[in-house]
Amino acid sequence: MVESLQIQLKKGVLEMCVLALLSHGDNYAYDIASRMAEAVGMGEGTIYPLMRRMQNDGLVSTYLQESGSGPPRKYYKLTKSGALALKAQISDWVVFEAAVRKIVGDAA
Amino acid sequence: MNRAHFMAQLRDGLAGLHHTDISDILADYESHFADGAADGRTQEEVAAALGDPARVARELRAEVGFRRWEENRSAGNFLGVVLALLGLATIDFVILLPFLCALAAIFFGLSVACLGLIVGGSFLLFNLLPFGWHGVMGNAAMQLLMGLGLISGAIGGGALLLLLMDIIAKLLIRFARLHFRLFDSANKSI
Repeated sequence: MVESLQIQLKKGVLEMCVLALLSHGDNYAYDIASRMAEAVGMGEGTIYPLMRRMQNDGLVSTYLQESGSGPPRKYYKLTKSGALALKAQISDWVVFEAAVRKIVGDAA
Repeated sequence: MNRAHFMAQLRDGLAGLHHTDISDILADYESHFADGAADGRTQEEVAAALGDPARVARELRAEVGFRRWEENRSAGNFLGVVLALLGLATIDFVILLPFLCALAAIFFGLSVACLGLIVGGSFLLFNLLPFGWHGVMGNAAMQLLMGLGLISGAIGGGALLLLLMDIIAKLLIRFARLHFRLFDSANKSI
């Protein structure tokens, strides 16, 4: 099972990206999925298992809100521990990114 | 594949879960199709972007199974975790299988042992009653102490068993979640 480095990297930061999106405001899965699909090429089908896992882990919570058309929409909201997780992941990411850049920078 | 076809396959894949979980998941995907239509996409486009409904169902099923275990650590829910893992069946689980079987046998053996201790202890206590068979073993005080000892041993052993089961389930869940992320490698998308 050999994956391209790009796919592995994207999978690793998927959760952080979704948490970051939600930190700008509550959102519903379709919109999160299409933003992620556009930005990092995530498959839309990935979003629901991912959101369910994050909900199980207590990183996000959900609530229903009436939409202009059709049935009420399920919105996802960052919880306190979700915000903490985002902070921790971002600082991990910044350190990692800087370290890689230092090593790879000369070769690029 | 159109919306109805996708939803039917998803529903099939989720069969056996609690009906509130199923309707919750199905509602997620229904609204995804509705949002897609509002976005000007065809049902076929949305279904293709969502991927294989059977695979989606296996992942969701595993996630629901894990949550049920975390909420309520019953033997049935432990079985649910194991079955969900088997549902994700890939080569890793074939390797894991003998290990899981051995584990199940050990747990079964220990549970039977605990049960035996309880039965034995109760027998000794029961003997203390006026209509019991006298003179089975030692005097009354000895029987009382041994009976209580056996039963408390069984309770302690049972508690230890549950603790161990919890640790193993956590390990398995972590393993499976790692697995989700490596799952879709054939696909170019993530």
